[in-house]
Amino acid sequence: MVAKKKKEEDVQELIIRYRPIITFRVRKALGAQNPEADDLVSEIISQVLEKIKSGEFRGESSLGTFVYTITSRRIVDYIREKTKVIKYAPEPQAYPDPQETLESQEASQKIKEALSRLKPKYRQVLYLYYYQELSREEVAQKLGISPRKVSELVNYALKLIRKEIKL
Amino acid sequence: MRKCKFEDMIDGYLLNRLGQGDREAFEEHYFNCPSCFEKLQERDLVIRTIKNHPEVLTQESEAREPFFSRLKTELAAMFTPRQLVLAGVTAVLLLVVVFALVPRQQIPAPNFFLTDEETVRGSSITLISPVIDMGQVPASFEWKKLGENVEYQVSIYNHELLWKATTKENRITLPEEVRAKMVPGEKYSWQVKAFSADGTLIAVSSKVQFKIADK
Repeated sequence: MVAKKKKEEDVQELIIRYRPIITFRVRKALGAQNPEADDLVSEIISQVLEKIKSGEFRGESSLGTFVYTITSRRIVDYIREKTKVIKYAPEPQAYPDPQETLESQEASQKIKEALSRLKPKYRQVLYLYYYQELSREEVAQKLGISPRKVSELVNYALKLIRKEIKL
Repeated sequence: MRKCKFEDMIDGYLLNRLGQGDREAFEEHYFNCPSCFEKLQERDLVIRTIKNHPEVLTQESEAREPFFSRLKTELAAMFTPRQLVLAGVTAVLLLVVVFALVPRQQIPAPNFFLTDEETVRGSSITLISPVIDMGQVPASFEWKKLGENVEYQVSIYNHELLWKATTKENRITLPEEVRAKMVPGEKYSWQVKAFSADGTLIAVSSKVQFKIADK
């Protein structure tokens, strides 16, 4: 009885821990707007639990790597089923991702506010680096500063944003 | 806390700049590293917000918050909450010292020069009359009262001491014989010193000059 309860707790813990990671990986591969993304996540979790139950996970790798392998294989299978093209791994989805959960909408609003309060020099560098997707070297060339300085500005801006959204 | 070597891959991964090998290595890593996954999610949200709302970064500054809000944000980024609390407590202590404790300290009283050789410290006495040139010899001298049980010593000088007297009032009437010594066209000066009941000098006025007009 006690052993059974412990096992149920382990399963719950595993789901709580890996569901967000699997979801992130799936959405990154298929795009959050894909209506089948959530079903695929649930399917992957079921597969993981089944394989653990059947003793397929023997502890040769970490549990994280085991879950990662199942997730990646299932994503490849999914793409294969949909496109019938096997040659390449699925292409990652590009931004923007219009679908946002309520929670991330709230966080996104906070980030927007934090971004708008940044000094122009930080906003400029974030715009070039993240929105225009220029490399650090390209941003540096455009602004007449060193790539190292670009990194410093980006990192400091991220630090400011992080502090603000955690306040 | 030591930085994970995979952290530098976060931007490359999210912006699809990693080669397949690095991408797979990073993916496997974040399945195993909660700290990197947390940072990945956070960065993903930042980039997604920028991608969805680029106008936030290109708008003019007028919509931005005032100086103190920005200062607050920057301070929050530079210091931990603990450091900020310590700084706040230190600032309060400094204010207490400056505004509450320092004024209680004995502040040295101003210097008063009685003669070229004689200097004392003490409070000042405000002289009321005469302080300007007079049309005739003044009948009395008046100054601002300092308190009870204070004895005032009044001195009138020509080139040298002309007359000296003491009183407990804040005015004194000049005796006729002294008035007789004071002549029109001459310059005079006067000074008051205050003594406590035990005879301690507690205050001195400045030496004020006045002239008696020619008839």
